[in-house]
Amino acid sequence: MRLALAISSFVVLIVHGIVFYNQFFHRWERHQTAYFDQARALSKNEHERAELDARKPRIEQIIVTQFGESRVDRCVTCHIAADDPRFQGHAHPLRTHSYSTALGDAERNGRWERRHKFSDFGCTVCHDGQGRGLDNFYSHGEDHYWPDPLLGYVAQHGWRDDFRPQLLGIEYMEANCAQCHTEENFAGAPQVVRGRRLYFESNCYGCHRIEGLSDGTLGPDLSDVGKKFKLDYLWESIVDPRANSATSFMPKFNLNAADVKALVIFLKSRRGINYTETSLERYRARLGAPREIVETSAAPPVAASNVIERGRQLVRDRYCAACHKLEKDGVVAPDLSFEGLIRDEDWLLEHFLNPRSRMPDSIMPAFRFPRQDFQAMTAYLASLKTPPPAADSAAAYNAFCARCHGERGNGEGPIALYLDPSPRDLTKTAFMNSKTPERLFDSIRNGVPGTSMPGWARVMDDARITELRDYVQATFVKQPRRELTARRLPDANPVAAGAESAARGEAIYLRRCAGCHGRKADGKGPNSLDILPRPRNLRNAEFVNSLSDRRLFDSLLYGVQGTAMPPWIDYGLSTNDVGDLVNYIRSLNPKPDRNLTARR
Amino acid sequence: MKPPAQEPGLAKTVAELPRNLWTSIFRNPLPSSDLGRSATSFTNFFLHIHPVKVHQNTLRPLYTLGLGLISLFLFLILAVTGVLLMFYYVPSTGQAYDRMLDLRGSVAFGTFLRNMHRWAAHGMVAAVFLHMCRVFFTGAYKKPREFNWVIGVGLFLLTMFASFTGYLLPWDQLAFWAITVGAAIAGYAPVLGKSMQFILLGDYTVGQEALLRFYVLHVVVLPALMVLLIAVHFWRIRKDGGLSRPEEPVEDKPLYSMKMVAGTTGLEPGEKTIGLMGFVRGPFTKVGNVPDRSVYSWPNLLIAELFVFVLTVAGVLVVSLLFNAPLEEPVNIMHPPNPAKAPWYFLGLQEMVSYSAFWGGIGIPTIEVLILLALPYLDRRPIGVGQWFARERLLANTLFLLFAVVNVILIVIGTFFRGPNWTFVSPW
Repeated sequence: MRLALAISSFVVLIVHGIVFYNQFFHRWERHQTAYFDQARALSKNEHERAELDARKPRIEQIIVTQFGESRVDRCVTCHIAADDPRFQGHAHPLRTHSYSTALGDAERNGRWERRHKFSDFGCTVCHDGQGRGLDNFYSHGEDHYWPDPLLGYVAQHGWRDDFRPQLLGIEYMEANCAQCHTEENFAGAPQVVRGRRLYFESNCYGCHRIEGLSDGTLGPDLSDVGKKFKLDYLWESIVDPRANSATSFMPKFNLNAADVKALVIFLKSRRGINYTETSLERYRARLGAPREIVETSAAPPVAASNVIERGRQLVRDRYCAACHKLEKDGVVAPDLSFEGLIRDEDWLLEHFLNPRSRMPDSIMPAFRFPRQDFQAMTAYLASLKTPPPAADSAAAYNAFCARCHGERGNGEGPIALYLDPSPRDLTKTAFMNSKTPERLFDSIRNGVPGTSMPGWARVMDDARITELRDYVQATFVKQPRRELTARRLPDANPVAAGAESAARGEAIYLRRCAGCHGRKADGKGPNSLDILPRPRNLRNAEFVNSLSDRRLFDSLLYGVQGTAMPPWIDYGLSTNDVGDLVNYIRSLNPKPDRNLTARR
Repeated sequence: MKPPAQEPGLAKTVAELPRNLWTSIFRNPLPSSDLGRSATSFTNFFLHIHPVKVHQNTLRPLYTLGLGLISLFLFLILAVTGVLLMFYYVPSTGQAYDRMLDLRGSVAFGTFLRNMHRWAAHGMVAAVFLHMCRVFFTGAYKKPREFNWVIGVGLFLLTMFASFTGYLLPWDQLAFWAITVGAAIAGYAPVLGKSMQFILLGDYTVGQEALLRFYVLHVVVLPALMVLLIAVHFWRIRKDGGLSRPEEPVEDKPLYSMKMVAGTTGLEPGEKTIGLMGFVRGPFTKVGNVPDRSVYSWPNLLIAELFVFVLTVAGVLVVSLLFNAPLEEPVNIMHPPNPAKAPWYFLGLQEMVSYSAFWGGIGIPTIEVLILLALPYLDRRPIGVGQWFARERLLANTLFLLFAVVNVILIVIGTFFRGPNWTFVSPW
């Protein structure tokens, strides 16, 4: 026992030794001692030398109170030569902070004078990092818990390797320049300016809100995104939106690395607070009416003859092609280049004003442009009536269908990810062969209301459509059609509609259907995540109202082949039960009064 | 004229100074006789809590494993380091985190102090729990030590609560969300849950009020309560006859018989027979018919205590040197980590909460605590005391072991096997 006692006492002693050594032999002390020695060698007179001799290593700090919360910057404890012009060209940390006319520093009589004096600004206002620390690991923010590592100098451990190197570079510091220099075109921060431009060009403004810039509501508010997130998160969210949130429907925009970098810097500059604004100004700004984005509504009325030209200009200025295909192609949303053949003016205008009135699950933002702008844009889009040339059915398929249904017909076209309901997988034999050729023809010719499938009647004549349908059947469906057995289906719902029937239908619905279609009947039941194609949104009024009773009975009683919808006739639902269900589903989707909306 | 009393010369004064100083502080010389050894308990303020003699069983390292002492010494380490940390800490949401950065960055020994406080706190929760297990497995809670067990359970709960309140003080993400989760668990209690949560936090969410409350609880209320209970705990150990030990065979010795004789002053051998037993209260004081297997506390007990102390300090120091106490991001209310986890000793609860909020967070823990409190009054058979895993107590030991193991397993699952959205993940 005594030996053990002796050993543990010895351990206690050793640990004390180590701790005291660490405490009294700091690295910063060595840096300061080295600085004193070198400065003594550089000093020109006795007085300076005597002053240096009198100095002892100590913690140096700058307390900054002007910029946001007060900061304590102890960086100058190691970077003690930062403001000593004799140390230019020395090694870090004993090195003069560079002078630069771009930063506003001025040289007078051979002496540089700083525009941003360290005594006023400290270090972390521009550089980020952790001012209170005295250990470079923590001070530089290499500790991955620290939210603001040195901008452009430190890429934290754990940042994604694929773009980690791109997160270094002094241009990232422009994000902090913009904290005070909020002018829209501040020449000192070109990356921020470029990022802001891209924010509009790539249509970020449509979905996101940034206080004072845009007020989209579909995506997260980005007003203080730079305070909340680090560079790697911002970068990742732009190039791979689903990496952080599996349910994100933000499109992957096709940006090159330089553009992403500018956007990241711009977003990093959005820290919510702005040092130059007073709280009163902020309050006033918030009180003021939401600003119209991108030009004001005060534009003079346009002569009728110029409406189309003006719409063209607007469509271009507002970067519709960031998502849609029109001159350019954002590969996120449908092709607009012959929109006039696909949608009529009523549809377009109503869709502009509220995209989800026509397609309940569309991700198209409802932009807050003046109505006359929408009218002009509608006029322009309605004037586009030249379809791309398509010599045969294969060419027609590639020109019209492949963007959504995919080149191989598997429903995985380049923009399929962003469409809800997703495009039909044309290779699903069970589905394709269970539908009559007439029905397939009808879907192509007249479209599927409430979805992104438009009617193609004005693009192709019936003969071409028939040809196209047969091409699809022959190319993608692997098995030949078999004769369809006739099903016994009522032409109209035999159960009278009414509250009682709908209530019975609801009870059945909750028991049998809600698992996939959801309690709200929005197609988002708990099982829906595992099902492809996804269950229908039964609150899609456009779609539901376009269906005949007969077709609803068909799907409910006999199922939808090639999907997860089972034939309920096998699971004990009678025709009357289905009638109640149909009444319930119809009761969820009141027929909109189109005349009313048109008159609006 | 009488010559003046001989003035000691200056040289002699100086030469005798150390000895004079020593004897003025230590009133008695180091004991060299049994009398002296027994007197240490009375002559020294700091030692007077000790008995004169302790049973040899008390000193068996493998009997107690020193767990009670370890808990005490960790408490002392926590008190000392805690007071030192108090010099730097400000319980304000605006400053607390900055103060942590200062402690880590520029305060002399700041990191080390914080490490010691942190790891000693975790260690104390563990040591107190293990101590409780030890007491159970040796049957030491049985009559007459029932109430000391109850006090011990109280101390265990206080230890966890003190650790829990301290968890919030750094005001980082870890602290904020752990306390948010912990307080939410309290909120699941029926009827009183929400009020309890509100009283604890001073608000509906964790904020400045909660920080202040937790601080006051942590530095004043809980330590004071613990000091009180620890004092009672120790006092009861002595009053209940020292640490538990196996019963020893009683040698059947004849009672001395004495006779009261009228007109005399004392007892003399004679007619009336009385047992000296009659004058003694309590079951454990020796009357002379028990073989004396006790030894003097000085130096035997003191050496043992010193050993445990040095070992504990060494352990805490080494751990503090090797591992830094965590300090995560500053609090960001809008950005909860996924998963947000309570402190590790509550992760068993959180794991159970993930199955049922009420039963996991309130029902089962309350039942567990009630059973722990009632244990000595339910298990009344005075058998198997003073022996690890006594065969006679197989059922009781098995049940308690199951209780301990299940809780530890739940904590391990909650700590290592739970990932985002509390889904099962493998730590490898």
